[in-house]
Amino acid sequence: MSARGFALLLTALCTAAGCRLALGPVADGGELRLTLAIPASEVLELRTTAVCSAVSLGAALGLAGLALQVLLRNPLASPFVLGISSGAGFGVALVLAGAYAAGVSAVSFGGEIAGAMLGAFATLLLVGWLGRSRAGHDPTTLVLSGVIVGAIFSAGTMLVEQMVPHGLRGDLLSWMAGRLPELPGRTAFWTLLASVVAGWLVLASNARALDVACFTDDEALASGVDIVRLRRILFGVGGFLAAVAVAYAGPIGFVGLIGPHIARRLVGPRHTVLVAGSALAGAALLVTADTARQAIDLGTGRLPVGVVTALAGGPAFLWLLRSGRWNR
Amino acid sequence: MESMTPDIVLAAECVSLRYGATRALDCVSLAVRRGTITAIVGANGCGKTSLLRVLAQVIEPGGHAGTVTLAGVDQHGTAAARATRRAFVPQRPEVSASFTAREVVRLGRHAIGTNEAAVGRALEDVGLSLRADQTFHTLSGGERQRVAIARAFAQLDSGGVWLLDEPLSGVDPAEVARIIGALCRRVTSAATGSAAVLTLHDPGLARAIATDAIVMREGRVLASGDAASVLVPSILSEAYRHEMVEAPCWLAPRLGAGVRMRS
Repeated sequence: MSARGFALLLTALCTAAGCRLALGPVADGGELRLTLAIPASEVLELRTTAVCSAVSLGAALGLAGLALQVLLRNPLASPFVLGISSGAGFGVALVLAGAYAAGVSAVSFGGEIAGAMLGAFATLLLVGWLGRSRAGHDPTTLVLSGVIVGAIFSAGTMLVEQMVPHGLRGDLLSWMAGRLPELPGRTAFWTLLASVVAGWLVLASNARALDVACFTDDEALASGVDIVRLRRILFGVGGFLAAVAVAYAGPIGFVGLIGPHIARRLVGPRHTVLVAGSALAGAALLVTADTARQAIDLGTGRLPVGVVTALAGGPAFLWLLRSGRWNR
Repeated sequence: MESMTPDIVLAAECVSLRYGATRALDCVSLAVRRGTITAIVGANGCGKTSLLRVLAQVIEPGGHAGTVTLAGVDQHGTAAARATRRAFVPQRPEVSASFTAREVVRLGRHAIGTNEAAVGRALEDVGLSLRADQTFHTLSGGERQRVAIARAFAQLDSGGVWLLDEPLSGVDPAEVARIIGALCRRVTSAATGSAAVLTLHDPGLARAIATDAIVMREGRVLASGDAASVLVPSILSEAYRHEMVEAPCWLAPRLGAGVRMRS
């Protein structure tokens, strides 16, 4: 089951990546036209960067989703259920407002990333602290803390939004839509990639314990898994990857939610294969969304990738739900 | 606590447990000898499950007072070390992933190491060999219970202490007889000092299958000792606050030769 599943996931990823490399606008007599062809080497280089960026980000979201779904024992868990995207959004809003107060008219992309990073990690620590009990991280308390902290930060973002002028509001809105940086900074990209590799390694090395974590706490503990320690690891990995992903590209929904579900159906429930499967599924989904985005021309520039993942991911999730075969 | 006699495989000394203001266990002591099946009986809410969880050491340290000693395992041993000597099956086992019954049983050996023969034997013992490749979710409540028992059997394939919380609720009579037979065989035949402790809400069944019994009331031990002398109307009437009488069993499964029948 798993070999065929991996083959399918890899084929999907390679096909999407191939299309993304070949698909793009080409100047044709003063008019841009969408073509599917092997591009000039400098264009190819740009598009390769974009593909690498999407693959890494998709993998990060897929792994974060998997870690949080096991942690919270909830198939609805996604990287954003812990309030991290709202926290990051608030961080960005604060940076923009600070720039406005200081009389700076435009904020560079780096400034937004710093704000998002700060907001994301502050939220992660806050939710982690609120969600702790004597017995470690309690799933219900964590989800409730995440949702409420997220709601507070969202309200904070709206408050700040009211206080800044229109131009900056646009920046904030575009960040909130979730966009893949076409030309990511080297540091940002390598941080993302290193986080993915580290998260992958930690999850893969705990794969068998993750299987046992599907039992009740009592059963997992009696089977020899230190569930308190495992939850701490899952919270760390899931939260960290989600925070890095949000800081990198803004909140891109559904990839982290659906990626692990698709992987479970294709490679099975065992985490020795599911960790790699979720990363691959996340990557394939995001590259596909990014490719689709290239093909949709509304005449006002490309759609943010977050809009594509939400438009396609929402119905896809509902289909998974209705088909009744999704794994709990 | 003083060192255990070689005959004792699991002991608790003055164990107390509180849930907030509610006192669940009040200085409960007990010693489980090798080769025995101990039944814990008592009315709903008397602390049976709490006692079993404390004995299994799945309640976090600090949540209770007193000591629990498992023969052959350091007092401060890791969860993995304890898993080599005792297994635990809760009242309602759950699996939040689409594993098959066989995979669930395999996972029981997480801390011990893979052993397909042990997994096969365990599935056979609960009568699920033929349905082993069905997903856990698609099994009935009684079958899920049996999968969890098989997991505990596979975990301690070479013997140990089985702690089972209402293991036979929802299990049909023929399978009750089969599982009890397997449990007796495992408890008595394993060379390494095995025993089982189970909570049961049916005192009649407890008297039919257990060698020892503990009767609880309001978090305390009301009586303990040989099952035949403890599970009697006078003590049970006090435990259940309702008059209990000797009555012939209306219908019961025939238990195997290895199971001691008392009724």
